[in-house]
Amino acid sequence: MSEVKFLTHEVGSLAKPPWLVKTTAGKPVDESDIEHARSWGEKVGVGGYEELVESLQQDERDPEEIARWASRYCVRLQESAGVDVIWDGEQQRSEMYAWAIAHSNGFEPRGTVRSFDNKYYSKSAATGPVSLAEPYHNEEFSFLKSVAEHDLKIPITGAYTLAVWSYDEHHLPKEGRLGGGLSRKDEVEARRELTLDIARNLIRPNLEALIDLGATWIQIDEPGASTEEDELDVFVESFNVSVEGLDCMFSTHLCFSDYDLFFPAIEGMSGCRQYCVGFANYDTRELGTGGAERPGYEVISKWRDLPYDPILGLGVLDIHTDFIEPPELVRDRILYAAEVFGDPARIQVCPDCGLRTRSWEVAYEKLRNMVEGTRLVEEALNRVHAGARRN
Amino acid sequence: MQAFAPGIYPRSEELIQATRDLDRGRTTPEAVDEQVERDLAELVSVEQAAGLDLLADGMLRWQDVFRPLVEAAEGLETGALTRFLDTNTFYRAPSATTATPTLAKPLAARYVAPLTGPRLVTLPSPFALSHGTGVGPRMIAEGVLKPQLDALDAELVVLEEPFLAREDEADLSKLEEALKALSGGPKLALWLTFGNAQRLLEQGLADLPVHAIGIDFYATHLTDIPQDFDKLLLAGVLDARSSVLEEPREIAAFVETLRRRGVEEIALVPNGDLQYVSEQVAREKLGRLGKAKTATTEAAA
Repeated sequence: MSEVKFLTHEVGSLAKPPWLVKTTAGKPVDESDIEHARSWGEKVGVGGYEELVESLQQDERDPEEIARWASRYCVRLQESAGVDVIWDGEQQRSEMYAWAIAHSNGFEPRGTVRSFDNKYYSKSAATGPVSLAEPYHNEEFSFLKSVAEHDLKIPITGAYTLAVWSYDEHHLPKEGRLGGGLSRKDEVEARRELTLDIARNLIRPNLEALIDLGATWIQIDEPGASTEEDELDVFVESFNVSVEGLDCMFSTHLCFSDYDLFFPAIEGMSGCRQYCVGFANYDTRELGTGGAERPGYEVISKWRDLPYDPILGLGVLDIHTDFIEPPELVRDRILYAAEVFGDPARIQVCPDCGLRTRSWEVAYEKLRNMVEGTRLVEEALNRVHAGARRN
Repeated sequence: MQAFAPGIYPRSEELIQATRDLDRGRTTPEAVDEQVERDLAELVSVEQAAGLDLLADGMLRWQDVFRPLVEAAEGLETGALTRFLDTNTFYRAPSATTATPTLAKPLAARYVAPLTGPRLVTLPSPFALSHGTGVGPRMIAEGVLKPQLDALDAELVVLEEPFLAREDEADLSKLEEALKALSGGPKLALWLTFGNAQRLLEQGLADLPVHAIGIDFYATHLTDIPQDFDKLLLAGVLDARSSVLEEPREIAAFVETLRRRGVEEIALVPNGDLQYVSEQVAREKLGRLGKAKTATTEAAA
């Protein structure tokens, strides 16, 4: 039996450093921002970070160049934490929804709405036929290929999430809905039209462009996938339309949902080789590998039983709390999953979601412990296997 | 004919920025408080300009429709971040640590802002607040909501109910018990948001012991309203989840149809919290709500 090894990977976003936020906003940076750049440059080993520090001390700065520095920092942050497969925390994107919409035709902004607490997102309306203004991850990918030492996985916001996070003023009638004039069936059909427009005309051309540039793993982010229980078939269809016939490893990311809803709909999504899913948010902080300690992971057997044997990217870090999961807690979550699956090769390890709501300090410690916890599992399982071989 | 806007109103872009800055340590709580006051003043002026009959404070500090009460109650605590219905907005689902939660202290002015003029206050319905906690609606009503109601000075208290219409087997008798426990204070409205009320209406929703019933008319068919409906009907005629601006004449025509069906007392309201559109869109919608009220009043005359 070969050595057990669990691949660790990121999911998406990281917080933007204050020196990037201020530069983007056209505001001056202060000494604490410069110290942030200096200390993190040293801490995670960003080559040539002194150049950034010097740049931050100038009155004039190129926001795009500063964003590329933020990318370098986030790449190194994850690499030095020991994460196997990384991205740059989406430092060069405005935000996962706004970035895609800004590079597309057929949408108009409609302001900002709350996601939760003091978190918000910009929301646009589909107002006409959707098309791609330009492939919007190419420059980012080419740059990251040039600076990353670890393997890359590109997150790209999926068609269904873009659709369900938008208002639709194009496919839905503007009048005649009051008093029950529009059936739910009509609403679902309108969503299907918008979603498939996005899949065909935005997502697929982006995927093709990234593959041409050498992308080998693309994660289609679908945090909105289960928003409408009766539209899961639309989500599945849009994923299939996006990736069908393309030569790349495609995965998807799901989070903060009632995951039971996805079954059996995703049985038809065999082009998805890995599901990266947030579970820690629903779990306890107790150590242990039994069902009582791991209620957040009870649902994972449904992924185990999918007919096409996808890998499960196991979310082990709650991204909405500063609590630093101890390595032993990470270990027990993975052990539970490995036991349920019966095949460690079908488990990979990741945070629940992007860590952008956490400070770099917290994100870094969480990621380090995620990696350390993963190593603990590997040691434990490999000891067992070694013992079995001896016997 | 009346019109008003219960529920959580969206924050302005300025308040959004202030709260973001607060979370990142770039501003002070006092600066956020000042912006909340500016938002509140602006909301009240929008409501007054629209000719709304009851003022609402927009619940600008409420993180979600449960949180301040959960935090003010002994025996309730906030749980996992949970998707709110089929929206892209999330809330901390309440959980219970005792079988008899009680309100430690009524909410302060931070959460129920003083207003000059006739006003409404929105609270979660006892069913909604008890949802998923394992505690019954009546216990929540008696221990948490009743003490809060007793501390309020309002013409109408709107009990927001987002979950009941989506229950496969809703039990109205438990809600009825809970609502009885809330009687004796301000007039109560049960506001069913974002959901088809057809089944509940068939089960006797209109007979519950409240002054008014709120119905989402983007999910509920007009003909589902019983012919003998004899309460104030909060008619959800603004779609709080759509950026499309409603046409006042369409609302007026709809109201005329309701009247022909025998509904005598009507208040025009959104079909849920307006926080699912941006403040710019919500402001436009409130203006149109006022115009719709005027149009229906003129049509009736």
